[in-house]
Amino acid sequence: MIEIKNLTKVYKLNKKKMAELKTKETVKRAADNISLVAKPGEIYGLLGPNGAGKTTTLRCVATLLKPTEGSVSVCGFDTVKESEKVRECIGFLTNEIKLDPHFTPKYLFGFFGRLHGLDDATIEKRRKELFEYFDITDFENKKIEELSTGMKQKAAIAVSLVHDPKVVIFDEPTNGLDIITARNVTDLLLKLRDEGKLVIISTHIMSEAEKLCDRVGIIIDGKKVEEGTLDELLAHTGAKDLEDAFFNLYKAHHKEEK
Amino acid sequence: MKDIFKKEIFRVFSDKKMIFSLFILPAVLMFGIYGLMGMLVKGMVSDVEEHVSTVYVQNAPDGFATLAGQNGYADTAEITYLNADASAEKLAGIKDEILAGGVDLFVIFDKEFLAKAGAYTNAGDPIPSVTVFYNSTQNYSSAARGNFNNMILAPLQTSLLQSRFGNLDLLTVFDTKEELIVNEDKANGEFLAMMLPYLITFLLFASAMGLCVDAIAGEKERGTMASMLLSPVKRSSIVFGKLFGLSVLSSLSSIVYAVSMIFAMPMMMGGMEEEAGLPMNISLSPLQMVELLAVMVSLILLYVAALCLVSVFAKNAKEANAYVMPLYMIVLVLGITTMFSAGGSAPSQATYAIPVYGTALSIQGIVTNELSLMQFGCSVLGNIVCTLIIVAAVVKVFNNEKIMLNA
Repeated sequence: MIEIKNLTKVYKLNKKKMAELKTKETVKRAADNISLVAKPGEIYGLLGPNGAGKTTTLRCVATLLKPTEGSVSVCGFDTVKESEKVRECIGFLTNEIKLDPHFTPKYLFGFFGRLHGLDDATIEKRRKELFEYFDITDFENKKIEELSTGMKQKAAIAVSLVHDPKVVIFDEPTNGLDIITARNVTDLLLKLRDEGKLVIISTHIMSEAEKLCDRVGIIIDGKKVEEGTLDELLAHTGAKDLEDAFFNLYKAHHKEEK
Repeated sequence: MKDIFKKEIFRVFSDKKMIFSLFILPAVLMFGIYGLMGMLVKGMVSDVEEHVSTVYVQNAPDGFATLAGQNGYADTAEITYLNADASAEKLAGIKDEILAGGVDLFVIFDKEFLAKAGAYTNAGDPIPSVTVFYNSTQNYSSAARGNFNNMILAPLQTSLLQSRFGNLDLLTVFDTKEELIVNEDKANGEFLAMMLPYLITFLLFASAMGLCVDAIAGEKERGTMASMLLSPVKRSSIVFGKLFGLSVLSSLSSIVYAVSMIFAMPMMMGGMEEEAGLPMNISLSPLQMVELLAVMVSLILLYVAALCLVSVFAKNAKEANAYVMPLYMIVLVLGITTMFSAGGSAPSQATYAIPVYGTALSIQGIVTNELSLMQFGCSVLGNIVCTLIIVAAVVKVFNNEKIMLNA
């Protein structure tokens, strides 16, 4: 289970960043008092435009960032005080985090398996399962730098799942993938959900969220402005689909901020 | 930590380009550079020795040609004799040729040189003179002047003095006897003691630099560092795994440098020792070898830690290389400083504890067989303490999300 309580993440801005963001503020509240609970056996989607705070929230969950205020617990462990325990039970994937291009998928799978404390037999078993599922076996001995974008993404997903994590966190999992690889990924997420895992994803692709997510949290300008199932969101906003619902919320809250 | 250590090692040994640049290229370069240096030195000296000088002599005294033929000077020079009535233009032309390098030496004896020398009886009588024109910036000209002094003027002077005094012993008031009391190890290792500390401190840094920048800043740039930070491994374990892996790789690369240097140096020494007379023989006892290894390993650890600390602040390898440059300059300056301190007053015990500089002094002491156990201990301890402080800083930085993730 993931439990986020009043999560606030504030970045200090230097002059260069202030110029980039065209702001006079010296700080940016990337996540502003966000609270949410996600449970095993569900896919929770964080929806929001670019720069809304989705990635920051997920990075706090994955222990890569420390909350400025509030707390995050994963599988009952605090992400600040028990970060190593948290990392044992999560599989995290984002476009910004990549596999070392000098190694092969097979080597990296074994390497990360060992970092997670798995024995060789377990690593081998998991490798067969995941490499077969993603059709990686054919290129398992090729260096990552020699692989196509889709192959790299498949390898990265397999490696992130080496330790069979209870919580799977994917930041924009289908971003930049071709339709077949994207379908593979979404099918996997559904499979993991059905196996009782907690899957939390961030996306700005509404059709993907509609298809995948059991519950959705909409984040705009660092704040969670709405949460619920698709039906609940449509009912609250009076929209005909998720895209309309999101657009209505964005207009209301983004405007409100200004 | 063990897995990260293995990964760092495997990263290099699974890449042919890395193996070539770290372990083969240094050896090739060492042999190439030292061989070339030896060849150039040898070639330069041989060339000067084999060169037949172009010499002009005006008013050559009687018997000059016989003297030049007897003592072999005629074999080293092509002599053109000029009379006293040679035109001023001709003489000026010869001097111009000396400047241009076409003529090596021009010697003018006073008219009736031998008669004037023989006529000298009392103080105040005129003394004949010999004027020698040469170009000190031309090796051939300088060598021609030296040969002329040694092979013509010195015997001529002795012969004239003999005729004047009969017994040359009358001119000798006392004999000077010099007996050399010197530590042979120091005498033999003096030149190497000047060169080796600089070379070793510099080469160790050079071999660690590329590796560390790639392993830290390179991984940050490629986004692969974050994947390791997501594993349930303590940040300190990641740091130690990387440091040990990089230290081993740097050490191996340094060994390649050192072995290549040992085998390649005779190629350079062949030129210097034989031709320039520089003593180059050193023999290290097993204890000295252990000491040398220990100071080198402690220095590698220090370099790796320092390079990792600098690299970790960089967002990419390019930035890290820029950050590393000041360190590079410090190492160069410290290495060069010890080159000039050789032979001066002995440094204090505490000086040996100064990282890098103390190591260079220790290497100097090992080569000249003058390093005390205390100095050795200070040097190694200084490096290790400094390394530990830097490693603690690296671990702290690895826990900093702003630096590690550019957040």
